[in-house]
Amino acid sequence: MTDQTTPPGLRRRDLLAGFGAVASAGLAAGAAALPAAAVTSWDMSADVLVAGSGAAGASAAIEARRAGADVLLIESLPRFGGSSAISAGVVYAGGGTALQRALGVEDTVEAMFSFISGAGTRHPPLEKIRLYCEQSSAHFDWLVAQGVPYREQLATTMTVPMAGESLYFSGCELAWPARELAQPAPRGHVPVATGMTGGRVLMAALLAQVAALGVTMQAQVAGERLVVGDDGRVLGMQVSVAGERKTIRARRGIVLASGGFIHNREMVRNYAPELYDCPVPWAGAGDQGMGINMGIAAGAAALRMHQGFAIVPLYPPEAVLSGIVVNAFGQRFVAEDTYYGVLGDAIAYHQQGRAWLITDRGSELPALQDDFLRVAQGNTVSDLARQLGFPKGALQDNVAYYNRHAANSEDPLFHKRPAFLRPLQGPPYSAWDLSLAKSFVPAHTFGGLHTGLDGEVFSSFGEVIPGLYAAGRTSAGLPGAPYIASGLSVGDATFFGRRAGRAAAGGAAA
Amino acid sequence: MRRLLPAVLATLLLSATPHGHAQLEAGATPAPPQGDPGRGRLVFAPCRTCHFTQAEAGHGNGPNLHRIFGKVAGKQPGFDYYSEPLQAAQFVWTPALLYAWLENPMAATPGTSMMSAGVPDPAQRADLIAYLQQVSVRTAADSASP
Repeated sequence: MTDQTTPPGLRRRDLLAGFGAVASAGLAAGAAALPAAAVTSWDMSADVLVAGSGAAGASAAIEARRAGADVLLIESLPRFGGSSAISAGVVYAGGGTALQRALGVEDTVEAMFSFISGAGTRHPPLEKIRLYCEQSSAHFDWLVAQGVPYREQLATTMTVPMAGESLYFSGCELAWPARELAQPAPRGHVPVATGMTGGRVLMAALLAQVAALGVTMQAQVAGERLVVGDDGRVLGMQVSVAGERKTIRARRGIVLASGGFIHNREMVRNYAPELYDCPVPWAGAGDQGMGINMGIAAGAAALRMHQGFAIVPLYPPEAVLSGIVVNAFGQRFVAEDTYYGVLGDAIAYHQQGRAWLITDRGSELPALQDDFLRVAQGNTVSDLARQLGFPKGALQDNVAYYNRHAANSEDPLFHKRPAFLRPLQGPPYSAWDLSLAKSFVPAHTFGGLHTGLDGEVFSSFGEVIPGLYAAGRTSAGLPGAPYIASGLSVGDATFFGRRAGRAAAGGAAA
Repeated sequence: MRRLLPAVLATLLLSATPHGHAQLEAGATPAPPQGDPGRGRLVFAPCRTCHFTQAEAGHGNGPNLHRIFGKVAGKQPGFDYYSEPLQAAQFVWTPALLYAWLENPMAATPGTSMMSAGVPDPAQRADLIAYLQQVSVRTAADSASP
């Protein structure tokens, strides 16, 4: 390493000098859409401009190019891949995909539709869900055709498989009440990867297609404003390139695929206050809400902006799920064995962000974990209740009620599965703080621009904004609050990203 | 908008030697401000979506950070995704250097594959370093009573 013949590499001095040499990439000031009349010349042009290089943007670019368009893909960060590249890369697919069939898994479009439309947010986008489910099998084939690797192996874990298996129950399908809505099936399709790196594998395949198809790719080009004509048609985008303003003409259409806004603290506080206290924004640094804000400034409507996920990762180990989760009144409020996104949602949106896990000797969290702090310990449940300051007798009564029924493998309140049902018995009893502000709780935003089935963006008056499309977390799609399954976000991004790319390519040249 | 170099960074710059050799020696750089590992737990939490600190967890989207201090940057076996500048790096990660780097990693190492805005706040960054110093040497054998 210190040999003189070693080619000069990055040294400490160079590392530190970088600070002075590179201007900070400050956020562009929010600004209204730019009137076309103010643009005297265009610096670049393409038939279709795609802003953002995550799963939605890459899928849009691939399909727009295959539809014959000349495509320019821009990315605000130095690297392509977006937040999708640091996700687990799960795609929620079903209704009898090739992988499900190969593994003997029975599933139907109807069951998948019932689950997605019934287990999540009230009044979900039914048309999108219907189309997504009907074409899910074909969409999975498309992912395979792009070179995304999957292995014919079913995982039994409740979390993203770590050993390269490609199919698992990625959501709350088996938990109550979802299992009564629809026949459960494993629908989480995971690229072959180890250690939560499926997103990197997914994006490597998609971006390789983007490059091979001849899409022009430019990193460190950040969108700032849409350029809008007199008739309201979106004609182009003003961008920032190394601190300089440039304009890009999009002859047929623009696809905004710039992610959500979890890294924009001000937007999170204003739009999604329930997520503001979560210490872990789970996204690449590019999720600054720029696509959403550019769209809003051009007249677009934004939907469900308060929704997102707050993951409270109780498991693994699954033995923990024999404990109970209670609120500030010492009461249970959720099936502990549900998907950790549903648990997090219940805490974030329905318990003011506060909850505790109560365990006995057999359900303690592992000794070496930094997710949740143990805040009380005692030989009796009463000891815990006193230390936590719960209302007099509440926790004791609720534990007694729970224990009485758990002894018969019953949970009249939340129907936790029998595998996790047994009375809490045997000291030491512990209480673990699950409060969002004090725990390892990754969060992501789901609100975004109002789009139709082809990614067309609607104005706040419900009219299509010509030339403008959005996909992924820049749009309001399938994922909502509660987030009911891993893979709905990347699944939605790839599926509707493709449709937006095709639609933008077919858009009449203005 | 240029970020002003904090005093500690300026000191580090002055103490840097023109060749890589001396920089591999530990202790040549001033320590970062004393942080609080308890507070650092949550400052470090966002890093955990990509970096694991327990050896047995292996690499995530970022390299494993078990015993990271004292390792030459960008050289861990089994992690094939270092950017070119880090592959070619000739320095050892010290608390002081990581403290400085995390102020703005993308600016400090143009080309890094770590798409993180870093931890600009000095006090929070010191807390993160204090926490990482503690947790990066933790092993299963340490799992005694709480």
